[in-house]
Amino acid sequence: MADLANQSGFAGFLADGGWKNIIMILISFLFMYLAIAKGFEPLLLLPISFGMLLTNLPFAEMYHPEYWEYIEGVKEQSGIINDHYIDYGRILQHGGLLDILYCGVKLQIYPPLIFLGIGAMTDFGPLIANPKSFLLGAAAQGGIFFTFIGAALLNMSAAECGSIAIIGGADGPTAIYVSSRLLSKTDTIGVGTIALAAYTYMALVPIIQPPIMRALTTKKERSVVMGQLRSVSKIEKLIFPILVTVIISLMVPSAAPLVGMLMFGNLLKESGCCDRIAKTAQNELMNIITIFLGVSVGATTRADKILTLSFGKVILLGVIAFSIGTACGILLGKLMYVISRGKINPLIGSAGVSAVPMAARVSQKVGQEEVPTNYLLMHAMGPNVAGVIGSAVAAGVLLSIVQV
Amino acid sequence: MSELLYSAPELLLKGSDKKLDGGTITSVVITGLTVVFIGLILLILFVSIYGKAFDFFNKKKAAKAKAESEAKLKEAAKGAPVPKAAVVKSDTPAPVVEDGIGDEVVAVIAAAIAAMGAANGKKLALRSIKTAKGARSAWASAGAVENTRPF
Repeated sequence: MADLANQSGFAGFLADGGWKNIIMILISFLFMYLAIAKGFEPLLLLPISFGMLLTNLPFAEMYHPEYWEYIEGVKEQSGIINDHYIDYGRILQHGGLLDILYCGVKLQIYPPLIFLGIGAMTDFGPLIANPKSFLLGAAAQGGIFFTFIGAALLNMSAAECGSIAIIGGADGPTAIYVSSRLLSKTDTIGVGTIALAAYTYMALVPIIQPPIMRALTTKKERSVVMGQLRSVSKIEKLIFPILVTVIISLMVPSAAPLVGMLMFGNLLKESGCCDRIAKTAQNELMNIITIFLGVSVGATTRADKILTLSFGKVILLGVIAFSIGTACGILLGKLMYVISRGKINPLIGSAGVSAVPMAARVSQKVGQEEVPTNYLLMHAMGPNVAGVIGSAVAAGVLLSIVQV
Repeated sequence: MSELLYSAPELLLKGSDKKLDGGTITSVVITGLTVVFIGLILLILFVSIYGKAFDFFNKKKAAKAKAESEAKLKEAAKGAPVPKAAVVKSDTPAPVVEDGIGDEVVAVIAAAIAAMGAANGKKLALRSIKTAKGARSAWASAGAVENTRPF
């Protein structure tokens, strides 16, 4: 009886550092509450928070962080010495369910597949109709690179700087993709920390962005009613994904998995001849990957990785990244307002931070506060989807500069 | 490939590098923003060019189709006798129509008002037609709401 009690999870809470697990479980409850009751990105926050709960239950053995630590100096068959070797054979033989699911994160399989689904759901029409929107999508990536400065000033490693900075892209899959490539056991933060911060801030976009948007624009600028977008032909929509894939992949090859899959999904949708596959990418595949990604990323939020000073830094730098990204988009929007002689509403600039379609909805809402009949949504969707491409390019740049 | 296409000071960081100096950080920021902007500006150029090209071809096609249909109408009109227009005496003056509002729109508005009048048994007169300033029409608003509902 005593042995049974000692093997139970309750005993684990009383063991050394067990109290940290209790705190993490309470935090997981908080995130579940935010997802269910408040509707904060529930599709991702709920799986993440449940993964967090599972991984912090003592002796459940569903996830083993020690299996994912790099083994240094392993000589591969080709003779190359690999300092970032992961023994996947051991994981497959002895790993728990969440270890197996986490393979998809570590091998960078899930984020491109999520991008496939996003591409199959996205209409790039507003962006094709007004290609200048690309500039707003590019400007909003300023949040990523300026946050890199902040992280470096806090004396974080190059891998940590890149992983925290990418939160400013307001794109969960991209953040997971970059951080899973860069972070290693020597870093004080994990992929789960980055994902948690990214999705939490994405859920908080309607709270973070409006004050910045109002502070940086005048009433006159916010009241601009933009003209109707031109209609885009089917053939233009068909050429677009192929063109973007070729140009971006040639320019930044490390962005190819994300941009390529995003555009492949879009081509499936626009082609009109692959409805079955396009619908699978939009629904079943996307939902399955979302469950796997959410739960396994949540599993990496072990108490010893989260309850550190670095987590505080991530939270602080994450909100700075989002705010700077929003401000950069708005400021370029203001410049375009001046150049276009008042034809462009600067509010659409804030949508350049990705977070599709939440950021575009925020532009619409803030615009309607001034002119209730003003519909900025479709105009804001242009920078919004440009932001997705922009953050994938920025991710490619970071991965090219920071070597694992 | 033994030689690189471009030669510039190398900007490569190891993931474990700490205490990045000011020069390195500035290089990362400038390189990152420049590459993102160049990539997206290239896309603007290509998308604008092919957008303009398709616009041009579509307009040409539309003009050709219009010319063909007009020619057909003329041919049809040549054969048929022209009916004499009935002279209708009216005690109400013709409505004042703002420039830029087409005859079709005037006809639709007049028909809608006539139908309303007929339904109520009242004789309604159309005095003037002007575009509303600032706000969009109820129909346009309803259309916009309908189209943006999925978001």
